Amino acid sequence: MAGHSTWPEWVYVGVVIALLVWVGAEAWEVERLVEHVPEGAEVIKVTGQQWFWTFEHEDGTKEIGELHVQAGKAYKFEVTAKDVNHSFNIPDYVVLMDAIPGRIHTVWFAPTEPGEHEIQCREYCGLIHYNMRGKLIVEEPLS
Amino acid sequence: MRSIVGLFVIIVILIIIPSIDYAFGQEEPGKYLDRRALIWNLFFRMMVVAFTIGAVVSGTLFWLCWRFRESNPKAVQTKYEQAGEW
Repeated sequence: MAGHSTWPEWVYVGVVIALLVWVGAEAWEVERLVEHVPEGAEVIKVTGQQWFWTFEHEDGTKEIGELHVQAGKAYKFEVTAKDVNHSFNIPDYVVLMDAIPGRIHTVWFAPTEPGEHEIQCREYCGLIHYNMRGKLIVEEPLS
Repeated sequence: MRSIVGLFVIIVILIIIPSIDYAFGQEEPGKYLDRRALIWNLFFRMMVVAFTIGAVVSGTLFWLCWRFRESNPKAVQTKYEQAGEW
């Protein structure tokens, strides 16, 4: 027996539970949407190594330090590394995925407008980590 | 007890069921998503929640400290203090 009214405590418990459920549901839903790769997304193999990025398109075209994509198209990155851990990051498009030797991690994005954006390594990977950068070049759609 | 049950029913109807419905009721996305918008919107929503709760909790603490300080004219001594035991 508490010896006093406990309803404010139950209100508090209820509000906390409701807030946690709401926050969890919102975050879970956004994560689910963000991880859903659309059909027809072009696969680009991304390889990180000290201290540059290599990209391989579906047609076999390779690029080093630069990545050319088209606006309005979806791309699925298959990210891996050759030597040590890196992290593939396009800050402007909120793309961030660890590049780990022996593993392939996937992340997708769909650029909306033509332009140039920074690519960078987000995991300290050695002496020249600070300069392990690349350029994402979003071009006008072909058709 | 009935009021507690009633309160929970209201919370469930107003918050929990819409949250679950929202989470499960979404159709598969047929178009490309702008992950920037999704992620930043989530971030801003969560910040609104965090700052609101932070303001309420810290405001309550400030009020508690102010209201129950010893020098408050409205302060009432505990029975131990009145008896000089503490």
